[in-house]
Amino acid sequence: MTVQFPHVLGNFTDALQARRLTGHSIAMYSLTLLAIGALYMVLYGIGQLMNGHLGRAFEYQLRERLFLHWERLSASYYHRRSTGDLLNHALNDVRAVREALSGGMNILFNAIFLLLSTLYMTFRTVSVKLTLVAIIPILFVPLFVVFFGPRLRDASRQVQEALSDVADLTEESLSAIRVVKATSNEAVEARRFRTRLNAIVARQMAMFRRSATFQSLIPLMGSISFAIALLYGGYLTVSGRIHLGEFVAFTLYLTMMIQPLQQLGFVFNNFQRASASLRRLTVLLTEQPDIADAPHPVQPGHIKGEVEVRLREYRYPGGNRAVLRQVQFHIPAGQTLGIVGRTGSGKTTLVNLLPRIFDPPPGAVFIDGIDVRDLALADLRQAIAYVPQDGFLFSTSIGENIGFSREAATQGEIEEAARLASIHEEIVDFPQGYDTLVGERGITLSGGQRQRAAIARALLKQAPILILDDSLSAVDMNTEKRILENLRRVRRGRTTIVIAHRLSAVRHADQILVLDDGEVVERGTHDELVAAGGVYASIYAMQEGGAVG
Amino acid sequence: MNWDHRAPAAGSGTGAGMHSLTRLLPYARPYMWNFLAVLGLVVIFNTTSVLQPYLVKIAIDDDISVSHPSLHGVFIISLVYIAVVVVGVVANYLQILLLQYTGQSIVQRIRQDLFEHIERQSMSFFDERALGRLVTNVSSDTETVSQFFTQFFLSLIRDGLSVVMIVVAMFQLDTHIALECMIVIPVIFAISLLFRRQLRQRYQTTRTRLSNIVAFLAENLAGMRIIQIFRQEDRQARAFADLNGLHYRANVAEYRLSVMFNRSLELLGNVAVALMAWVGGTAVLHHAILFGTLYAFISYIRQFFQPINSITQQWNTLQSSMVAAERIGGVLRVQPAIVDPVRPARVKASRVRGRVEFDHVWFGYRDGQPVLKDIHFTVEPGQFIGIVGATGAGKSSIMNLLLRFYDPSRGSIRIDGVDIRAMAQADLHRLVGMVQQDVHLFTGTVLDNIRLFRDDIDEEQAIRAARTVGADRVIERLPDGYQTQLFAKGANLSMGERQLISFARIVALNPRVLVLDEATANLDSRTEAWVQRGLRAVAENRTTLVIAHRLSTIREADRILVLDRGRIVESGRHEELLRLDGYYAELHKKSGIEDGMQVYGLGPRMQRGNRGLLGPGARML
Repeated sequence: MTVQFPHVLGNFTDALQARRLTGHSIAMYSLTLLAIGALYMVLYGIGQLMNGHLGRAFEYQLRERLFLHWERLSASYYHRRSTGDLLNHALNDVRAVREALSGGMNILFNAIFLLLSTLYMTFRTVSVKLTLVAIIPILFVPLFVVFFGPRLRDASRQVQEALSDVADLTEESLSAIRVVKATSNEAVEARRFRTRLNAIVARQMAMFRRSATFQSLIPLMGSISFAIALLYGGYLTVSGRIHLGEFVAFTLYLTMMIQPLQQLGFVFNNFQRASASLRRLTVLLTEQPDIADAPHPVQPGHIKGEVEVRLREYRYPGGNRAVLRQVQFHIPAGQTLGIVGRTGSGKTTLVNLLPRIFDPPPGAVFIDGIDVRDLALADLRQAIAYVPQDGFLFSTSIGENIGFSREAATQGEIEEAARLASIHEEIVDFPQGYDTLVGERGITLSGGQRQRAAIARALLKQAPILILDDSLSAVDMNTEKRILENLRRVRRGRTTIVIAHRLSAVRHADQILVLDDGEVVERGTHDELVAAGGVYASIYAMQEGGAVG
Repeated sequence: MNWDHRAPAAGSGTGAGMHSLTRLLPYARPYMWNFLAVLGLVVIFNTTSVLQPYLVKIAIDDDISVSHPSLHGVFIISLVYIAVVVVGVVANYLQILLLQYTGQSIVQRIRQDLFEHIERQSMSFFDERALGRLVTNVSSDTETVSQFFTQFFLSLIRDGLSVVMIVVAMFQLDTHIALECMIVIPVIFAISLLFRRQLRQRYQTTRTRLSNIVAFLAENLAGMRIIQIFRQEDRQARAFADLNGLHYRANVAEYRLSVMFNRSLELLGNVAVALMAWVGGTAVLHHAILFGTLYAFISYIRQFFQPINSITQQWNTLQSSMVAAERIGGVLRVQPAIVDPVRPARVKASRVRGRVEFDHVWFGYRDGQPVLKDIHFTVEPGQFIGIVGATGAGKSSIMNLLLRFYDPSRGSIRIDGVDIRAMAQADLHRLVGMVQQDVHLFTGTVLDNIRLFRDDIDEEQAIRAARTVGADRVIERLPDGYQTQLFAKGANLSMGERQLISFARIVALNPRVLVLDEATANLDSRTEAWVQRGLRAVAENRTTLVIAHRLSTIREADRILVLDRGRIVESGRHEELLRLDGYYAELHKKSGIEDGMQVYGLGPRMQRGNRGLLGPGARML
């Protein structure tokens, strides 16, 4: 549509020159121009909107797919990847692809269409010879694209890497801030930071040198074309072979071609970046979940909660050190097992093998005599309730957090679970009660409240097996006692595993394991272990002395 | 690299954002000349663009559309045209590079300052903030702000200048017609005003909804284990779909409006051209102007709308940079809670003997909740002091205060009689060193990690330090020995190996006073033996305070401080405390330790008559 514009203007010029124009026909020409402009605007706008919608719908679906995919990946995956990096994928890479797709496509199609139709119009309405001669420099543009493409992509990747480097160093340095401060090493850290920053500047400049050259060459070619048109077209006009109107139209056509050419360069830059992003996303989406259902899962029927572990050795995926060795124990259904041991002795890893957060080797972990690997993940996890070490909560209301395990849980059930976890009274005292928002990761609650909310959440699930991973550490002694009493009552006949640093949490267990460096070094009941005078006894002495703990 | 749409800080309206941006302007001041040069280059480039239609006009009016057309003239004009274009392209190229360099340099300075500012903060700053947020401030918020200095600034001067120059050129050509053209300016303003409010609102909505997505993702990725264990994948996926859909709709609505805005401006441009053809055409008809002039006017009016459009596109850049600047400003505004005194006491490390005094010290992390109450003790140079007590009794807080991570709320702490608040922190930290429970490694070689990248510790010293604590055997087993690359996150060393490196670190730094915080609680029994040997070497010839979890560790101490709920309840040598028959004696009795053999952490396999942490060596202190 817009390509008609110079044509009309050209006719207008010729008519004007030939003095064939009246006031009336001038107005007609103006109206034609206006109509063309308006129509173009509407059509272009519609195209833009369609493209924009398409791109945004794509963005929506890509994020959806990413999230669904992430939900299938296991803990060891999250062990390896930082949340920041994953967020980067979901935000920046997705956006880069969308921008290329919607804005880029739009400009690209527009530019290509403009170029082609402009060429067509020039061939048809203006001298073919003039067009052919003038177009020569523009023909170099594809060569530039081929030449600069990989170089631009490479430069852009290097910039991204340098930026990641800075983020990594910042994270590293700030995590070690105590060491840095204790050694007054701030200046040294600042120097290390500076060298990373210098790398960014150097790489950014290398990239801009390339992209600026690329983006300058295109208009340069366009302008040379224009100069040729001016010279050759001027010659043709002067020698009377074409009309001035044709000349005017042609120069206008050429200026119309320069802009799409510039845009092509810009879009091309974007595409290079987007293709790098798309590659990153593809890598992410093709990651196979390493913990998945067995091909033919066993139908367990009703799970009673008997647990048997016969583990020879466990290493983390890709790890070269065995974190658990020769761990063997048996929990009859309905009994309570206590596990104690130092940080890093393997307690958490051990209980994570049960719900297959980490995957045990075949023939090592059994529930009701069935290898957990042979159960469908849904059945397996349905049978286990878990209270994590950090009492992880979502930033919803405290009621929603407790009801997390069952969407259909009634308020009554939620309150009952909260009562069992000794947190109901405190929740009721909050101004918003159960609707109190707990903030990012439960930050508005105290450590003890977080842990008790997490316990309530697990109790609501009423699973045959309950795992408490050191989840009473921030709760004071009296409350701990109350919770433990409640647990003994409601968990009667159901299996419970309690990891603890504080022995008071395990002293009533039917069986206690003492873990050291991935091995069971002592086992027995509280009384037996104290009497044995081993590791357990010494921890007990230390802690009982510390009374309030 | 930037997810710049993260949670808009509460109360960061346009005003606050603008204010924060202007607060960052001093970073641009040293680059005044660069900006002026950019301005000059933009002027040159714009001049060449404005000249181009004018040259065509000359060609048409003077050489082609005259009674005696001159090919020679056209030739000259074409050459001039090419020259003008080349000048323009070169100016543009230089301008891009110069401006990017300037923008990058400014951001580099902001980043550096921000990083150093954060590192200067006291520990209470880090207690209150999420690490990830700070990393985002340093890495991506700064990147967003850089767009202000490059994209927005460039657009403002380049496009602003284009508009001005086009207007000037029009007036040069024909004042009368130019004046008539100026009608479009109020119309542009009117259209902008009409859309602006709505545009901003929709932009904010989209951004808020995106930040909700980010928050949701961050939380759910961190809590994926919980989702999977409780089998709530479907429910969370639905919740995500809701947020995602909300964002999608807001995003489309915002986009639709901005398309409408830009198309309205374009329509205005087309109307202007049509009007020009009408008005100008009539003028040509009446010989009021030449045809070439009309041609130029039509070109100009079309050119006029390009920069206008481009400025409006920068609107979002401005908004996001303001948000980012606000967040950076939020960090930069925080004054470090602990600063060096104006005139620090002069401390000569070699002269310091290492006498440590706590003088009626009170301290709490939060007001009204004291963790340490009236702590009062003196450690003579070279003494070995044990601190015991239950979790939360305040043991670690004593270390935190001695290193001045926090200041006491009452009382004072002195080294060789000098209040540590009177010293420069760098001097203090030369005197006092610590070994933490968890060892942090830095990305770099083993050697770098021992000398902490410092110039004042040479390779030989570092290796000697490693040998002293017995880390050399471990290090030599590594693939590249001392040059082996270590990574902060990659656990390519075991806990014990890490601990040995941290011992070597402290020996290389050679402080007069050393605090060990439960340093061996993390070790497996196998590595325990050689780590203990290392520790013995570290403690030699220094005033040493050990925060103990095991009584055996401190049996041989010159004095044991027994802490209970923030107070020192007993103090004395092991035997004295036993004789006292109080809290410590009770602790000891319960532990069933008679000869220091059966202690927490020393598994049964280790019972080989180990005489506690320092063994006989402690006597030497």
